[in-house]
Amino acid sequence: MDVLVVGGGLAGASAISTLRAQGFDGRITLLAEEPVHPYERPPLSKEYLRGETTEPQWVRPPSWYEEQGVDLRLGARAAQVVPGDRVVLLEDGERVPYGRLLVATGVRNRRLEVPGADLPGLFDLRTLADADRLREAAGSATSAVIVGAGFIGCEVAASFRRLGLDVTVVEVFPTPLYRVLGPELGRVVEAMHRDHGVRFVLGEGVASFEGSGRAEAVVTEGGRRLEGDLIVVGVGTKPDAPVGVADERGAVPVGPDLAAESEGVYAAGDVADHDHPIFGRIRVEHYDNAIKMGETAARNLLGAGEVFDDPHWFWSDQYDSQLQVAGFATEWDRMVVRGSLEERSFAAFLLKDGVLRCTVTLDRKLDARRSLPLIRAQARPDPALLADPAVDLRTLRPPEGAG
Amino acid sequence: MSDWVRVADAGDVPEGELRSYTVGNRTVAVANVGGDLQAFDDTCTHHGCSLSEGELDGTVVECPCHGGRFDVITGEVVAGPPAEPVDVFEVVEADGEIRIRARDTD
Repeated sequence: MDVLVVGGGLAGASAISTLRAQGFDGRITLLAEEPVHPYERPPLSKEYLRGETTEPQWVRPPSWYEEQGVDLRLGARAAQVVPGDRVVLLEDGERVPYGRLLVATGVRNRRLEVPGADLPGLFDLRTLADADRLREAAGSATSAVIVGAGFIGCEVAASFRRLGLDVTVVEVFPTPLYRVLGPELGRVVEAMHRDHGVRFVLGEGVASFEGSGRAEAVVTEGGRRLEGDLIVVGVGTKPDAPVGVADERGAVPVGPDLAAESEGVYAAGDVADHDHPIFGRIRVEHYDNAIKMGETAARNLLGAGEVFDDPHWFWSDQYDSQLQVAGFATEWDRMVVRGSLEERSFAAFLLKDGVLRCTVTLDRKLDARRSLPLIRAQARPDPALLADPAVDLRTLRPPEGAG
Repeated sequence: MSDWVRVADAGDVPEGELRSYTVGNRTVAVANVGGDLQAFDDTCTHHGCSLSEGELDGTVVECPCHGGRFDVITGEVVAGPPAEPVDVFEVVEADGEIRIRARDTD
């Protein structure tokens, strides 16, 4: 049996690492669209963007792939999978056969379909090459307009403020991180950025980009014209699976064990639309999830048959603060706060029908990690105990086998 | 020169817990793993967070910031983003004291 991994990011590299660690000595081929070895993306909006590090943070040292006998093909984009023939077609028409296939192609950035969106001088951020371009441009800029106050927009805003740029953020929702955190916690993040000098235009979409020859201004639907030396668009993503395994949104639907519908095909990371045993069908774009899904997919490629039930966890570093989110919730009927939203040191527990679904922390790191076993167990902790900073969340875990 | 430095009274690090102490110009974390003390550099090699503010799970310490995991006995990276291991230190509990052997900074 041989394994073909399509996608040169964290999930694919983690899967290969696990395959070899499990003793798999068959042929492994990795097709990576970008012309560089797999690297870590978190620094791209932070220390790499700010120029504090200049070397990419490799997932594994570049020499590792050859040492592990991996046939690494950089700059190779898979255009299509033909599951019936067990073959992947590259963009140049080459056919790459597979015994087992792992799709880990991630996501692409969404573009705004508005007038001026094709002007030169509009930046977005996903790849190392994007980060290099943005870093260079930031070096000679004094002002920036950032479209989108999601995680990328917020982190880039924080990095630009640290570099001394004048920053305005435009967001169509009423607060930053609105869809993930809701309005109440979103306002806390907004206040943190305002205290660091970021200006916001909230609740307004972008009508167009303007400029003579290159993008110089964002025009909002409310008619405001916001000029910047640098305009960065971070308005979400769309999954980027090859034709043949992609659903209508571009993701790969997978079962609880990360197996796709087609025989021998698995998916991991941002591209995997997963039937999660706790949360139902979800697709997330988290660092930790890419590693863990890659590891589980690798074991399942070898026949382990594990259900992936990780409760999800991620972080976002902004200024000297750290937001952490454990679990997953798109709706909740109760929020219990431990600590203080106003002082920006808190854990916010999001409950639905009494079940803890998600914990959001700002500078109370351990409470996020310590929530994970509770979320996995679908525990119904006493809200009074959740709210009490003196209560160690580890003491609230239901007994093994219960819940 | 490497000397033994008293950092705390014996028993100051309860089983399953972590503490940190200054030894020379280093901050050293001490973990109590099933009654045995293990000492290692408190500063995560990934981003500089304090490992003693993280979680101890058996012989593995997990960084509270980005989830990097180190083996507290060997200092090796077990999982997560860190690329480099943490230094480990010799530690003893004797004469009612916890002592750590200082290391020269590389």
